[in-house]
Amino acid sequence: MKGRVFLIGDNIDTDVIAPAGYLHLGIPALRDHVLEAVRPDFHTLVRPGDIIVAGKNFGYGSSREQAPAVLKDIGISLILARSFARIFFRNSINIGLPLGIIKDLNSVKDGDIVDYDIESGKLYDDSGNIIALFAGPTGPLSEILAEGGMVNFIKMKLGIK
Amino acid sequence: MSDHPKTMAEKILSRASGKSSIAGDYVWAVPDLVYLNDLMGPVALSVIRKIGIGKINYGGKLIFIVDHIYPPKDVSSANNIKIIREYAEENNFVFIQGGEGIEHTVLIEKKLIRPGDLAVGTDSHTVTLGAVGCMGVGMGITDVSAIMALGKNWFLVPESIQIDLIGRLRKYVSGKDIILSVLKILKEDGANYMSMEFHGEAIRHLSIDQRMAIANMTVEAGAKAGMIEPDELVGRFFDIDEEDLKNVRSDEGSHFAQRVDIDLDSIGPQIAVPYSPANVHDVKEYVGVRVDQVYIGNCANGTITDLREAAEVLRNRTVAKGVKLIIVPGSRDIYRQALKEGLIDVFLDAGAVISPPNCGACAGLHMGVLGDGETAISNTNRNFKGRMGSPESRVYLANTYVAAAAALDGRIIDPEASL
Ligand code: SF4
Repeated sequence: MKGRVFLIGDNIDTDVIAPAGYLHLGIPALRDHVLEAVRPDFHTLVRPGDIIVAGKNFGYGSSREQAPAVLKDIGISLILARSFARIFFRNSINIGLPLGIIKDLNSVKDGDIVDYDIESGKLYDDSGNIIALFAGPTGPLSEILAEGGMVNFIKMKLGIK
Repeated sequence: MSDHPKTMAEKILSRASGKSSIAGDYVWAVPDLVYLNDLMGPVALSVIRKIGIGKINYGGKLIFIVDHIYPPKDVSSANNIKIIREYAEENNFVFIQGGEGIEHTVLIEKKLIRPGDLAVGTDSHTVTLGAVGCMGVGMGITDVSAIMALGKNWFLVPESIQIDLIGRLRKYVSGKDIILSVLKILKEDGANYMSMEFHGEAIRHLSIDQRMAIANMTVEAGAKAGMIEPDELVGRFFDIDEEDLKNVRSDEGSHFAQRVDIDLDSIGPQIAVPYSPANVHDVKEYVGVRVDQVYIGNCANGTITDLREAAEVLRNRTVAKGVKLIIVPGSRDIYRQALKEGLIDVFLDAGAVISPPNCGACAGLHMGVLGDGETAISNTNRNFKGRMGSPESRVYLANTYVAAAAALDGRIIDPEASL
């Protein structure tokens, strides 16, 4: 997959990703406000395939699943971070939005176009050099992601077609 | 393995999964209680529909409670309440209509949970239940739907941090300052994926209200649960004898990944400054900061103890000209008690507006949303960018004395120096 990098900092919280004042209106209403407090232009720039590269504790704060859901809805296909907040991590996998914990990262700039392979956990620059290694989820989460999210996982468990 | 000394989290998850487990184990556990609010409930039901199951396989207590946007502010929020009410009624689940109070406050007040329970809520502040030794864990709607569909969900048994509290709190210093002092040390992710367990001789001097303030903000360090070791006070509240309480507390010799000591005598009023609840300083460093709004309420600090503290500051005084003072009792019972004690009169005389029990502007939902460039001081739990309204607004978090005192002059003051 190929996409643009949105580089953001540490402790990006769920109120910044999905402001609570629009939650009751649903995902479409959140699209114009996603990350607006830190990146007002984000919703106009993002395209399917784009990725977020963040610092530590991405998704800090509330339990709102709308945070990963609106990022996925607007086109984000992978989030890489030094670490993730617990609930955000579960929520993302549950809705089938891939996450990677950065193991090794060479310089990557905001706006860079990168190639990535989620299976092998590698990020490449536009000349094909590896610029980052990342690890996906382990434990029950890897099974859930393999099914494409929690809804499919539950269906599989319950034998629902 | 069964005689391995266990932390509270290890004990609770061992019981709920029917399998002796320690930190690092993955278990499938059945929560004793699951609760959903008006903001998340309708979305969870849409996930349930997507899964396509006819009946709910969860056998524990399932509660739908309205608190976030009540009374409804628009058609969408009214529809959300209608959706969960109809669903709960059709399926015979407990439905608590708005006005009863904020979910976590109500669950403790009405004794809907007990020490040693595992409770899951669609809200990160489910950790508040740790005030009485219940393992409250926040999850997203799909995870909660999974519990409804499968009857259980997976948990990673967390490592625990031991927080030892000694000494006594000074006047004008409260439970809020204890947890802010802890956040100052652990920062935003110091307890990510972990359970925080509070021990120490100081606990017996803390009311359940103060313990709620502490447990409530453990999630601000990323904690999965934050529990205060239940003592006789909690035993009396729930009518549980000492032997049974002992089973809830962690065992002698259980393993803690880290230990933090807090000497209550040494802490003064604290303040979390924008834009993080872990960006904590002494209030005295921020004396003089102008505020447009003072907000007193929310799931941790809308208690009768908080309202008494606010009334103590506001009695026979008035709010500075132009400052908005919004007071939100955490529940109907708290509201009624405040009326009986004459606190509501004190607030009205001071120039406050009293909101019905709800989440209100705590999360920027309604009833006190901040405008561009406005500054608020609040005794709530989050001050993220845009949390209470405009992305251009700023929120300071402090205890109730400090918040109320800022309304008098429209500037932050140190109650220890100036009240
Ligand atoms: S009062 Fe605030 S923190 Fe508590 S549940 Fe409501 S919105 Fe969340």
